[in-house]
Amino acid sequence: MVSSTIDHMVAFTVFIVAMTLFVGLFSNTLQTAVSYQRQSVTSRKASDLLDNILLNPGIPINWGRTDSMPTGFGLQDPEFTQYKISPYSVMRLVSSVMDPIYYDVTGQYYSNITVGDRSFMLVPYSLSLNYSQVQSLLGIRNDFGFQLTFTPIVTVNIEQVPSSNPITLKVSASGVGFPLSHASISYSIFTVKSKGQSSPYYKAVYGTVVADETGTASIPTGVPSGEPYAFMAYVSMGGLVGMGYTIHPGEGDYVVPFVDSFENGNVLIAHSYAVDETSLPNSAVFYNSTFVLLTEDFRLRQMPVLLGTGKVVYGSGSDKEYGNLTIPTHNPGILVVTYNTNDGKGVTFMPWGISSLAFAVTFGGDPSQQEWVATDIRQITIGGVAYQVKINVWSLEGYQVIS
Amino acid sequence: MMRTIEVLLVVIILTGAFITVSFFVVLPGAREISPINLRRLSFTTLLMLDSNHDLSRAAFEPNNYTLWSGLQTALSASLPANVLYNLTVYEVTGETSQLYTIINSMSNAENLGASSDASTYVVASSNVTFNVVPEKIGLEEGGGTLYILSCSDAPGWWVTGYTSQSLAKDLYDLLSPYFYETVMVQDTAEFEQILNGNALHGETLQNAVVINTCGEAVPIPSSYADAYDGNSYGEYFYELGKRVNQYNWTWTSIVGWPFYYVSNTAKFANRDNGWGIYGMSQVGSAGLNAFLQGLDERSSYIPGSSSTSSPGVVHLSSEVIDSSNYYGIYPSPYQTSTRALPTAYTKEYHLDVTTYVFNPVGGSIPAAIYRHNGTDNSYEGAFYAIGLTRTPDIRLTALGLLTDYHPRLYRSEYTTNGTSRIVVLQLGLMGGM
Repeated sequence: MVSSTIDHMVAFTVFIVAMTLFVGLFSNTLQTAVSYQRQSVTSRKASDLLDNILLNPGIPINWGRTDSMPTGFGLQDPEFTQYKISPYSVMRLVSSVMDPIYYDVTGQYYSNITVGDRSFMLVPYSLSLNYSQVQSLLGIRNDFGFQLTFTPIVTVNIEQVPSSNPITLKVSASGVGFPLSHASISYSIFTVKSKGQSSPYYKAVYGTVVADETGTASIPTGVPSGEPYAFMAYVSMGGLVGMGYTIHPGEGDYVVPFVDSFENGNVLIAHSYAVDETSLPNSAVFYNSTFVLLTEDFRLRQMPVLLGTGKVVYGSGSDKEYGNLTIPTHNPGILVVTYNTNDGKGVTFMPWGISSLAFAVTFGGDPSQQEWVATDIRQITIGGVAYQVKINVWSLEGYQVIS
Repeated sequence: MMRTIEVLLVVIILTGAFITVSFFVVLPGAREISPINLRRLSFTTLLMLDSNHDLSRAAFEPNNYTLWSGLQTALSASLPANVLYNLTVYEVTGETSQLYTIINSMSNAENLGASSDASTYVVASSNVTFNVVPEKIGLEEGGGTLYILSCSDAPGWWVTGYTSQSLAKDLYDLLSPYFYETVMVQDTAEFEQILNGNALHGETLQNAVVINTCGEAVPIPSSYADAYDGNSYGEYFYELGKRVNQYNWTWTSIVGWPFYYVSNTAKFANRDNGWGIYGMSQVGSAGLNAFLQGLDERSSYIPGSSSTSSPGVVHLSSEVIDSSNYYGIYPSPYQTSTRALPTAYTKEYHLDVTTYVFNPVGGSIPAAIYRHNGTDNSYEGAFYAIGLTRTPDIRLTALGLLTDYHPRLYRSEYTTNGTSRIVVLQLGLMGGM
């Protein structure tokens, strides 16, 4: 009787221990398989989502060129097929990297896609699409999170040759760690020729050179050392087109362009103190602007801007003034605003179409805190400039995604 | 003891089951769970390389070292560093036992690892002219005639920057391939002839398409001008509407408010349209109303007026955008409409809209083709009104008509030897799977 009881007790204990152990082992295997299923679904979603975004222009198809909000989200250029992206639609995405800028004169916040000094891309929030809006338009809100990154494939580095006078610039172009040997380089140099209380006179010089086998070219600018200037260069090689620029700013106040209307091409020209409170609103800034676009034969061409000259001040009350100019075309290009004050002079750029200055754009959520992120990439062109677009997608739903 | 042995047996069975399951359940590696879509990557890379037709040029010039060197540089520069590639250009011959002949190839690795994927892309030679044979409109139904009113004695209005003759010439170039016969109506006397039911050159009058290139004005033959003088010519438009119904024409107004003026330089030599253009007489809003009464087969003409609206910027309908790609005619997808017809007219005059050229805006139709629904439910006459502001874009006229009739295009020469080549870009990941 006693041995039977002991037998039962030992058997029961061993059975319970064994069952607990095996349930744990099996569930671990199952969890790994379920996790694989989840990740596989997320991965397929990443690829589908990227193609959905890149291969449809949205509704209406030209929403990037209007001031209205789309009812369907897509970034394809409506005038083309395949992976050609609208340079305007991308401009209307709220940057998830840069902090917004508040301009108290208009009372609006502006999405800031600015890269570098004295080159601005500021789009009012009222014309911009934020992450949650796009999630809703794509029908993935509460299901998936994503981040889109547009990165120019071609990197164009511009350096001033030390102690050169007049200044000589060394322009080098490379892809993903690979130099673009013998690439064609089309460039433009802007210099401001006056200083004081009137709209500046500027000089623009255009040219084309061919890079050597290391993808480098030396370009004499004719600009005396110490003078402010702005330089832009488009590089082309075997279907790859890239862009680079450098601005050597002068002292004192400057001007900042804000996009006001995509539909009408309106741009506000504000005093630098509006965004840069470290500078002092010492004096009025006089400006003179022009528009430069890249033609199909790979040359830069200048177009006049409506109401392109004026004066901006940043005082108090009614003294706050901004300029209002109109870009006369819906072709991508660069708004070049030359300015001068009592203290200095210089040039600022604003791309009209994100590709014109090859700005990189990051849009969407933050993948760094996510448990598992699927990634996919495509090669695209925006306004003729080669970009690589990467999407990161993660699930927001947990196991529900499997269904 | 027996129970313990039984439990140990259970443990052995479960262990065996677990080992068996673990043996068969081989979970994939990270690359298999979320692989880079190499097929898409290679396809988009090919598209990018051909964005300025550099890839096409290289494919047809295999011995051009500069081009191929540039292509290899661009390819190496555009792909991620861990991606291996092999780009090969083939010619499809079909004349020998070997269907594909390698023209040229380049690669950055001897092999592309255990797993790779490829995309193909067809490039065309820049020297090739592809032959397209369009289907003829209306030939099977009886018809197939296009009349373009290019009356030398009738000036136009709201065709600023053009003459009706230059517009007629452009329309002829755009549309004549799609019609069995295209007739340029040279003056108002010839126009009178077809209005009276007499063909000019033996063409089929019935079911024709008539395009008025005079904008808001309509040529009026002298005899009609004499007959209807004194009543502001509304009755002429009423009669014109009846003829459109009778001959089952598709009357096309290329811009503005249709039937607003009549024009004839001989008859109105001393009369202007109210804006200093002589040879014209203003009918006003009564003209459109009169035409629609005639199209609707009203027993008699009752003078009235019509209205239009100004919806502003309007957008091409999706159907027309599709046609735009199909026929290769690309007007701007959005335009400004200031003379849109009210939707209510469709009910009032028994019209069916068979093609919306621009999307309707509220109660306004910026541009559409209306067909009159006859008594026996068959269409009797049609009216294509483009209520945009000046100046006219005759590509919209052509595109609207082609969308409505939708003639097919038979493309040929595309597969002729030497006119196209296939480029295959195969990609692999460094290190294999």
